[in-house]
Amino acid sequence: MTIYSKGETLLQVKDISLTYDNKCILSDINFSIDDIIRPGIQQGQVVSLIGRSGIGKTQLFRILSGLQKPGKGQILVREGKPWNLRPVHAGDMGVIFQNYYQFGWRTVEQSLKLAAHQNKALAGVESDAILEYAEQFDLSDVLKRYPKQLSGGEQQRVSIIQQLLKGSDFLLLDEPFSGLDVCVLDKVVSLLLKVSLSHEFKTLIIVSHDIATAVAISDTVFILGKKAGQEGSTIVRSLDLMERGLAWQEHVQEEKAFAETIREIKACL
Amino acid sequence: MLVAIQVIVLLSIWQAAPAGLIPSPLRIGEALGGLLTSSLLWDNVLVSLLLTLKALLYSVLITLVFSYLSVVPFFRPLAHFIVKCRYLTLTGLIFIFTLLTRDGSQLKLSLLVFGIVPFFTTSFLSVIMQTNAQEFELCQTLGYGRWQSLYEVIVVGKADQVFEVVRQNFAIAWMMITMVEGLSMSEGGVGTLLIKYNKYNDLVHVIALQAVIFGLGLFFDHLLGRLRHWFFPYTKL
Repeated sequence: MTIYSKGETLLQVKDISLTYDNKCILSDINFSIDDIIRPGIQQGQVVSLIGRSGIGKTQLFRILSGLQKPGKGQILVREGKPWNLRPVHAGDMGVIFQNYYQFGWRTVEQSLKLAAHQNKALAGVESDAILEYAEQFDLSDVLKRYPKQLSGGEQQRVSIIQQLLKGSDFLLLDEPFSGLDVCVLDKVVSLLLKVSLSHEFKTLIIVSHDIATAVAISDTVFILGKKAGQEGSTIVRSLDLMERGLAWQEHVQEEKAFAETIREIKACL
Repeated sequence: MLVAIQVIVLLSIWQAAPAGLIPSPLRIGEALGGLLTSSLLWDNVLVSLLLTLKALLYSVLITLVFSYLSVVPFFRPLAHFIVKCRYLTLTGLIFIFTLLTRDGSQLKLSLLVFGIVPFFTTSFLSVIMQTNAQEFELCQTLGYGRWQSLYEVIVVGKADQVFEVVRQNFAIAWMMITMVEGLSMSEGGVGTLLIKYNKYNDLVHVIALQAVIFGLGLFFDHLLGRLRHWFFPYTKL
């Protein structure tokens, strides 16, 4: 069993509810993400929000990112030293949309520069950081291209780098595995794991309906579903994959506990 | 190729038709040849072009100011009023413009600008209205403020569309030039030339000159399209 412990809270979702056209979409959503501490490793956090299509995942994604205000409740995020939790604002989180949207009028390099200029820590070394990331993410050859000239996989990597260059600790990904073939899927998974190991506070929140891939990559899973007698969706179950010995394992899909966990999640949906 | 064949067939039918008041293509062709080799035509074309370009420049600047400001709620009604001004006719306003301007040159320019701006503004506002919300959301996720987002999405992001709006509306300016040049003929221009030929019922030269105006319009339409691709390479993708 891997040794780990939990530290301070990095993100807290408090009593989130959302009503749209008099219809309750989300109701009393509560969960928190804590800093995971592993001796000798800069271990970030990978959390998955799993739910069926149309359950309100995208709305929750938008609320988490600060792009949409909830009807009730608030999202609190960690801020500087001393440790403090404050309400989230748009721009606090790196957001990777499902369609990997990029400015069509900017080349990859220009887009990345725009993001890097927002990061005070990169002041003066923006170009070096871009080249380093581009090499790491196998994008050096496409820096002068426009988004329309990129493949889906390249667009996804550009979106990830852009948000990494911006420098926020949180990275929100909307359905990052949808529409990818098996080879690209493996690449994306290892890429996200690499990102999660880049900093202690780096926190990936993956919104997905791809249960197997989400579980394979995560340390914690929250299941969005509906409770009997409740109109809106809420967190019906949370699974600590570290406790089950399923986090940070290279071939976790081959383990019996993994298959059992998948079955358990499916039963909740 | 197909268009060329259709034009040749049409001209042949026209040529073979019994001669009446409408001159034959051959006569018009001869007049056109004479016009193209004369300095009279090119001097007047130059005058008209300079006036058109000047009017376009002023119109684009005015359009951009009001269109960009339209994203601020306070200025939106003003931008929408300019759009409605498309339904104002210039004829009834010429006297007012004459009072407001110093000379014929200013009168022509102001009339052209007044005529073009509502059309430019209409086209550009529709471009702004169709802005994908995700463009602003990406700015927000990158931590941009309101003005920074507007600059990136509307000013930089729509620059190619401004060019397209100019290209599409160049025809309006080119069409109006002949009308306003008739109001003050001292400086010349294709409009003045056209009125002179018309006055003497020289239909052969009127049609030849119309062909020149038409050809120049098509040329500038093509040129602006090329320039747009050159300035904004992503529009070719």
